[in-house]
Amino acid sequence: MRKNSIVTPALIIIALIGLIGLPLVIKSDSTINLIILVLLYVITASSWNILGGYTGQTNLGHAAFFGIGSLTTRLLWINGFPFFLSFLAGGVVAVLLALLIGFPAFKLRGVYFAIGTLALAQVLNLTVGNILPEMSYNPDLANYQLLPRYYLFAGLTIVTIGIAYFLSKSRVGLGMMAVREGEDAAESLGISAFKHKLIALAVSAFLVGLAGAAFAYYHVSYYLYMPFGAEWTFDPVMMTYIGGTGTIIGPIIGAVFFVGLKQLLVWNVGEYHLIIFGILFILIVLFLPGGLVEAWQKVKKVLLRWFGRKKPNNHQIDSNKR
Amino acid sequence: MLKLENINAFYKEIQAIWNVSLNVQKGEIVTLVGPNGAGKTTLLRIISGLLKPASGKIDFLGHPLEKETPNKIVEYGISQVPESGKIFTEMSVLENLELGAFVSRARKEKDQSLERVYEIFPRLAERKSQMAGTLSGGERQMLAIGRAIMSGPQLLMLDEPSFGLAPISVERMFKAVEKINQQGVTILWVEQNVQACLELAHRAYLLENGQIVGEGKGKELLSFESVRQAYLG
Amino acid sequence: MQALGQNLVFGILVGALYGLVALGLSLIFGVTKFLNVAHGELVMFGGYACFWAFSLFGIDPFLSFPITMLLLFLVGAILYKVVFSHTVKFAEETKIKNTLLVAFGLSVILQNLALRFFTADERGITTSYFSTAFTVMGIRLPIIKLASLVIAVVFLIALQIFLKKTYMGKAIRATTQNWEAASLMGIDIHKVYLISFALGTALAGAAGALVSINYSIQPTMGLGWTMKALIVMVLGGLGNIPGTIIGGLILGVTESATSFFINSNYREVAGLVLFILVLVFRSSGFFGSKEG
Repeated sequence: MRKNSIVTPALIIIALIGLIGLPLVIKSDSTINLIILVLLYVITASSWNILGGYTGQTNLGHAAFFGIGSLTTRLLWINGFPFFLSFLAGGVVAVLLALLIGFPAFKLRGVYFAIGTLALAQVLNLTVGNILPEMSYNPDLANYQLLPRYYLFAGLTIVTIGIAYFLSKSRVGLGMMAVREGEDAAESLGISAFKHKLIALAVSAFLVGLAGAAFAYYHVSYYLYMPFGAEWTFDPVMMTYIGGTGTIIGPIIGAVFFVGLKQLLVWNVGEYHLIIFGILFILIVLFLPGGLVEAWQKVKKVLLRWFGRKKPNNHQIDSNKR
Repeated sequence: MLKLENINAFYKEIQAIWNVSLNVQKGEIVTLVGPNGAGKTTLLRIISGLLKPASGKIDFLGHPLEKETPNKIVEYGISQVPESGKIFTEMSVLENLELGAFVSRARKEKDQSLERVYEIFPRLAERKSQMAGTLSGGERQMLAIGRAIMSGPQLLMLDEPSFGLAPISVERMFKAVEKINQQGVTILWVEQNVQACLELAHRAYLLENGQIVGEGKGKELLSFESVRQAYLG
Repeated sequence: MQALGQNLVFGILVGALYGLVALGLSLIFGVTKFLNVAHGELVMFGGYACFWAFSLFGIDPFLSFPITMLLLFLVGAILYKVVFSHTVKFAEETKIKNTLLVAFGLSVILQNLALRFFTADERGITTSYFSTAFTVMGIRLPIIKLASLVIAVVFLIALQIFLKKTYMGKAIRATTQNWEAASLMGIDIHKVYLISFALGTALAGAAGALVSINYSIQPTMGLGWTMKALIVMVLGGLGNIPGTIIGGLILGVTESATSFFINSNYREVAGLVLFILVLVFRSSGFFGSKEG
């Protein structure tokens, strides 16, 4: 499935310019906060996609890395360490955790890996909640500036998508996809499933750990155990599936869709957007596994046929099916 | 009684059955022989409804089977003894047999059917409370066959019942099948152990690479060059 | 010594409840191989059904079981028909993964539906006899906990009888062991799946009623109970019905021991850690299983 990114270089440049130049055009703080939320989700979803989408391992412990990244950074930063060191530390600790649990975790296959990682994330969630139940306050509130935080998220988003993209085109990435398609078959080709899974986990953890670190920088006051909550796994997973797993643009679409839907329904009482999202998620898993990306490709095919320009490459497969 | 017309079927996107047509008359013992991988088991699975053909028709006593669910096909009167028996090892012999009579019409006659099975396979009566998993290979096969006739089928299909059995067990099994046929059950038998099978059968089909390449009276097929070379040499 | 004994007894009483919570999940998984991680949310709905029966209609929580179970049976049947029946078309490995994902989407939907309609308030049931307790050898045995133990055991035995003696029960067991052979017996696999799923959900409802009696309920409790059910299932052996009560007891006692020797805040953590250890060291629990 190499034809997964429909973004041409021109569009990428436009997007980059837009991302960087945005605060110059938009002055409303609430809009910028909204964009930051989208970026946060893009990062958490794209990072999950590396292990979950490209390597095919359903990791339900994503929140553990997000949480540990945010916890590390917040504790260091609030206690006087320079921000950049604290920020990087968040990512590093997340990777260390990933390496630590990678060895036992990858002994588990498929469904067991999923529930095992879920249990692990819950252990961290509950333990942190027990040890550090208090709210963390930002002592330097007067000097809080939104723009640096925006650029931190924007930069991290670009880095994340960049890493995901180059990984997908690299030999390692190819190995990951082979593992997804069939672990035993991959092994017989000399591809070490364990090595590739571990790399995917480490990269995924690093990126979402940094996202957690940015989160710690961004929020003024929050409960330290909050980033360990299950929603920080569930939401990115759903977004990625809805957008399209194993694609670069899928998580991005999913994130935008998620926040967009939430905003659209914000005048309704209750968490309707999650209900609708959940239903959409189920529909996609059952009937449209490639997500919105696949839906778009199907629409494109229909449109192209209407305009009389047939693409010759896909016909061979069609004629074999009776 | 059973008629297959131009059946084409795929197994994981590869065509496994090519334009197969065959028929089985009431009261006959028809055997389907062929090398490993020819598609014999696939064909039985198609008749039983576990696999759907891509095209073609299957008629059984006036019922079209191509689109039917497996359990409905059993209700119509076809019963299969699958490859290696597939008995329920965590259940007793009796429970296995009772499950064979699951369809409603068979449930009412469960006790008579049990008597019939015990008569053909006295060993099963001795072992009726034993866990099926503790039976020997030959006994398991007997159980599988007994279980299959509990539903009172008109057509009994067997998929390589002699596989992995000791010669004595094979002989016993053949005798039992003959007896069942004499009681009025039509038999469609898939085998690799060609010689003995062809002696017993009224008619035979030769299946190779998913196609019927030969048909004839049991003993006639022995003259087919390929059969001799492959199996009797 | 007294306190330890009290603790142990509590662990056993609670363990029986845990066993019941897992029973439905174990049944469903054994037959269909669906890992319904929305199980906790179904337990939650059972709890709410019991609660509303009590607070709106004054029905004693121990008497509303039939209503709760019937309601949840229907819910399970609908969920199977509308959602899960679409997963059977997938190949085995994909099927297991996709049912996990679907169940997880379902848990999000159910949790938020509950938040929407029941509000986030914690609910509890209190009747006149709730604080009554027997005291045996200095150990306090609250009557509701004893009743819960009895009910859990009764359901376990009833399920076993159903599975062993009735034709449908045997069909379910046959399908669990080998669904193809079962369909060759004339067993309608879809019907078996439907009934197993609905029955498993009804059992979740019963467990939920016990939960609402012994604890408070709120819309976000689902995940915690799903985890407990998973832990019990893995401890007792996947798909092993009698094993679930043993698995439940092990979890109950582990939690109590943790509460006694370490800190009661770590009860859940201990269970989860045990779960991870068992998963990693042996995927078939202490009793092995008949995995398909």
